Amino acid sequence: MTCLDLSDARPADSPVVSVGYYGLPVIHGPHWKWLITLYFFFGGISGTSAVLSAIARLTDREDDLRLARIASFVSMTALLPCPIFLVLDLGRPARFLNMLRVVRVSSPMSMGSWGLALFGVATSLSTLLQLLTDFYTSRESGIVSRLSRPARLLAPVTGLLGLFVAGYTGVLLAATAVPIWSKRPWLLGPLFLTSATSSGTAAVVIASSIFDRPIEAGEAKLHRFEAHAMIAESAILTGWVYALGPTAKPLVSGHVGSILRHVVIGAGMVVPQLLLIGSTRSRNQKRRLFLTRAATILTLAGGFALRYAVVQAGRDSAIDPQATFDMTRQ
Amino acid sequence: MSAPTQTGDPRYGFLTDATLCIGCKACEVACKQWNQLPADSTAGEFRLTGFSFDNTVDLGATTWRHVHFVERSTDAGMAWLMLSDVCKHCVHAGCLDACPTGAILRTEFGTVVIQDDVCNGCGYCVPACPFGVPQLDHADGGSHKCTLCYDRLRGGLAPACATACPTASIRFGPVDELLESGRQRVSLLQDQGVPASLYGDEKLGGTGGIGGLSALFVLNAPPEQFNLPSRPRLPRQNIVPAALATISTAIGLCLAATFAFRVHE
Repeated sequence: MTCLDLSDARPADSPVVSVGYYGLPVIHGPHWKWLITLYFFFGGISGTSAVLSAIARLTDREDDLRLARIASFVSMTALLPCPIFLVLDLGRPARFLNMLRVVRVSSPMSMGSWGLALFGVATSLSTLLQLLTDFYTSRESGIVSRLSRPARLLAPVTGLLGLFVAGYTGVLLAATAVPIWSKRPWLLGPLFLTSATSSGTAAVVIASSIFDRPIEAGEAKLHRFEAHAMIAESAILTGWVYALGPTAKPLVSGHVGSILRHVVIGAGMVVPQLLLIGSTRSRNQKRRLFLTRAATILTLAGGFALRYAVVQAGRDSAIDPQATFDMTRQ
Repeated sequence: MSAPTQTGDPRYGFLTDATLCIGCKACEVACKQWNQLPADSTAGEFRLTGFSFDNTVDLGATTWRHVHFVERSTDAGMAWLMLSDVCKHCVHAGCLDACPTGAILRTEFGTVVIQDDVCNGCGYCVPACPFGVPQLDHADGGSHKCTLCYDRLRGGLAPACATACPTASIRFGPVDELLESGRQRVSLLQDQGVPASLYGDEKLGGTGGIGGLSALFVLNAPPEQFNLPSRPRLPRQNIVPAALATISTAIGLCLAATFAFRVHE
């Protein structure tokens, strides 16, 4: 056996001392990618449109009841693919029911599974009541008035569970060792919730403009609310990036950074607001419809891009040992 | 090396000493043999870190003991630091907190074990570990890590790696005994001028919320050189602030929505 003298073998320009152990990751990153990004997006829309439906139903005005109806259909439709995304993402999809094997408060994923299951039941019941109401309304039956009471009772339950489903995902990501998700834990949940709110509102707006007679007053309310949610979202996003400091690098640089700047903020926040301002000034009905639809579609695209950016930045952040050490030295 | 009793109330764990490790990798081999783990890089890609003999690179689904080979330039040429890394079997374990199926449990030996017949491969324990231990196996879809040879402990045997270690760098026993001898070893080394420390001793600090490790390490260099975080934090600690902030935002949004709907045009 020969003993190699390796002291001369190393290229002169390669640093002898790298970060940690040969610059290898300290923690193992998540495997989550497209399926989870899609779930975050659709789950968020489903949850927040259920919230809108509940609030609109509880105001009990004729216009708002029509909005509540559309919003509950949007919520149900957006919810349908969610279990598919989640089950397919499992390493062992056939064992998806093990998610409901225990209740574990220390696991946001356990709480989320239960919350999503209960939300599914509540949303299905709400949708069923709405379908029955629709069915009997056209037959002028007296049953309709008797259906409004359970619908009003169910609304706050569905709404609260909807808020949970839209918001817990941010808590789930914060409760990991991934630096960019966990360094400032109090901002990711609010970011996901406000982003889900603007996406959910946009989805309700576009659904009502396609499937219902125009509800101008209702749409104006939704747009106003959407603008508020988007202002909160952009403020939280800015605050988050600022609070993360150098840990924000995988989010603001490279391919993810360019998606964040151009798609999330540019196309998803700034342009829709400009289009909506333009639409309120336009007198041409067709042009107004076109502008609001374009705005809502861009808002949805921005919401999806934000989820993608946060998930991908988490993967990049996890493999950076320096980011982990920066957090574990204090 | 005393074999545990089955009623064992005390926690059992490892004391792994970097100053005694010779990098023979008997622990890696014994672990793979006993636990029937396949070789890494079965796809054909062969990889080494640096110029050394570390071909397993990291702890993972099929590598539950991993020997670090830290290369350091000294005046006399290259010097090695070696350390056999393993699951820390934390007193408060991030993986166990995160597991939504109850597949991960705390055993009667105080160790943390993934029940393979329950795990559904959700992968949440993987980023929830502050030390990067559990990993999903692409072959079977489940998450895997060191069991501290649960089956051997049940049978009154010491773990395979500790049994195979020829230099007693890996010691197995009740954690309070290991802590005691670890502290003695560190003070002996410090008296000899070695910058030694006991990683995982909660009394020395640095395990934020984790409450100490059942796999302790005698280190002769800063922990980061072995890719160990100096002051790891338990991810569960983020749940309360994150949840409170999210609930506050939810209340704000509901108020804004109610306000938006109340305004009459």
